[in-house]
Amino acid sequence: MHSVWKIVCVLLLFYTVIAGFLLPVPALPILNETIRNLYFHVTMWFAMIIHMAISIIYSIKYLSGSQLRNDLKAEQYAITGMMFGVAGLITGMIWAKFTWGAFWVNDVKLNGVAAAMLMYAAYFILRNSADDDTKRARLSAVYLVFAFPLMMAFIYILPRMTDSLHPGNGGNPAFGKYDLDNHMRMVFYPAIIAWTLLGLWITSIRIRIKNLWNETNL
Amino acid sequence: MISQIGLIIAKEWKLEWRNRSAIAGLMVYILSGLYISYLSFKKIADPATWNALFWILILFMAVNALAKSFMTESRGLQLFYYTFLNPQVVIIGKILYNGILLFLLGLITFLFYAVLLGNPVQGVEMFLLAIFTGCFGISSVLTMISAIASRAGHQSSMMAILGFPVLLPLLIIIIHLSKNAIDGIEFSVNIKYLTLLLSLNLIVPALAFILFPYLWRE
Amino acid sequence: MERNKLISLFVLLALLPSVSMADVEMADTLRSDGKIYVVVTVLCIVLAVILIYLFSIDRKVKRMEDRFKNK
Repeated sequence: MHSVWKIVCVLLLFYTVIAGFLLPVPALPILNETIRNLYFHVTMWFAMIIHMAISIIYSIKYLSGSQLRNDLKAEQYAITGMMFGVAGLITGMIWAKFTWGAFWVNDVKLNGVAAAMLMYAAYFILRNSADDDTKRARLSAVYLVFAFPLMMAFIYILPRMTDSLHPGNGGNPAFGKYDLDNHMRMVFYPAIIAWTLLGLWITSIRIRIKNLWNETNL
Repeated sequence: MISQIGLIIAKEWKLEWRNRSAIAGLMVYILSGLYISYLSFKKIADPATWNALFWILILFMAVNALAKSFMTESRGLQLFYYTFLNPQVVIIGKILYNGILLFLLGLITFLFYAVLLGNPVQGVEMFLLAIFTGCFGISSVLTMISAIASRAGHQSSMMAILGFPVLLPLLIIIIHLSKNAIDGIEFSVNIKYLTLLLSLNLIVPALAFILFPYLWRE
Repeated sequence: MERNKLISLFVLLALLPSVSMADVEMADTLRSDGKIYVVVTVLCIVLAVILIYLFSIDRKVKRMEDRFKNK
């Protein structure tokens, strides 16, 4: 009855929780056991980026075809992406408090993510301010597509040019090597897929409810 | 096409000159801002603070200056554009005109700022280059945002809400570049920021070029 | 600067494990007690409840869609 990918999502989520806590991890100072947050915090960012990318794709689709269902999808994916963003931000702040010593450090990646979330907040405000459906769809799609490359420059290019506390960037390249640990990889990649599938599932339900809502209001 | 862009720039300037209150208002805005900072700071010893204050002044001046870019156009003028010109010409012309305007206002700001609050800049030509590329970058972002905001209504507040998240990545690069210019750091070190800024200066107008026609249809 | 200090600290710490792996304190007692299984079980149950709830919402939406189509 339910499609296969939902089952896959459930299995991978259970795998993430079980293997994430039971498989061995490299013993690193300061991080200690909190390195397991990699499966729960970092994956939030991956899920957020994937959802936001999908929302951009639907915005471009809307601009090329002017079909309102594409706009609806773009909005719903953006909402789920924002949800992951909030989860990632809060978990990240807690983790940062215990490893870097403060809830908020001046780090390029943190700033980039904060800016991306501000941009999405602006996107939702813009959606609320326009009065009719087609105008709202057109304006918000243009805004999203216009802002996206600048965000990418912020999130991907800028951190490579300046120092970051995050692994694998300018100031501390050696720190990135825990990513290469094979045990962690075995959980990390499935965890990304699991959380992303969960988000896609939630979004699909939201889209279906919205569609029902629109149809009954006709 | 190029002659048409020239036409737009000339027309923008004529409108600006005919109604000098707008540009005079901006000058007063800059001068009073500068004078308030002079009264509160007297002299700024710390180059980072100097730099930050300078770009904050430019930023707010730019938001104020460009908010009216699409608002002041009457229905009739829009109709005229719509019939005789294609949208790409209009947006590129406006970006160029606003860029020139911002650059000139930026130079004036720099002059008075240096006189009133001291001038710690060691690499002046580098700093001027930062103002030049920075102003054109800000202009290309804000002109497009102004077009979106004018279609959405609630002009002035929308301008800030939509503009700041998108401007953030640009501003960080500009501030890095101009900070290096103040410290008199060699050109070879700055080249990475400059190339990034220049590539954004190409990408953003290109995006505006592609996306503006969608805002045009009304 | 505070940040540079932090960064050099991290570089240092990243190099440390190759020197002394055994010194790092991990939750080994939790593991040897077998109490970690309690944590994992609790988390699995929470996850299961949330997912069952999600499945039921999914089914409800499906039923509504079907009803709407038949009308």
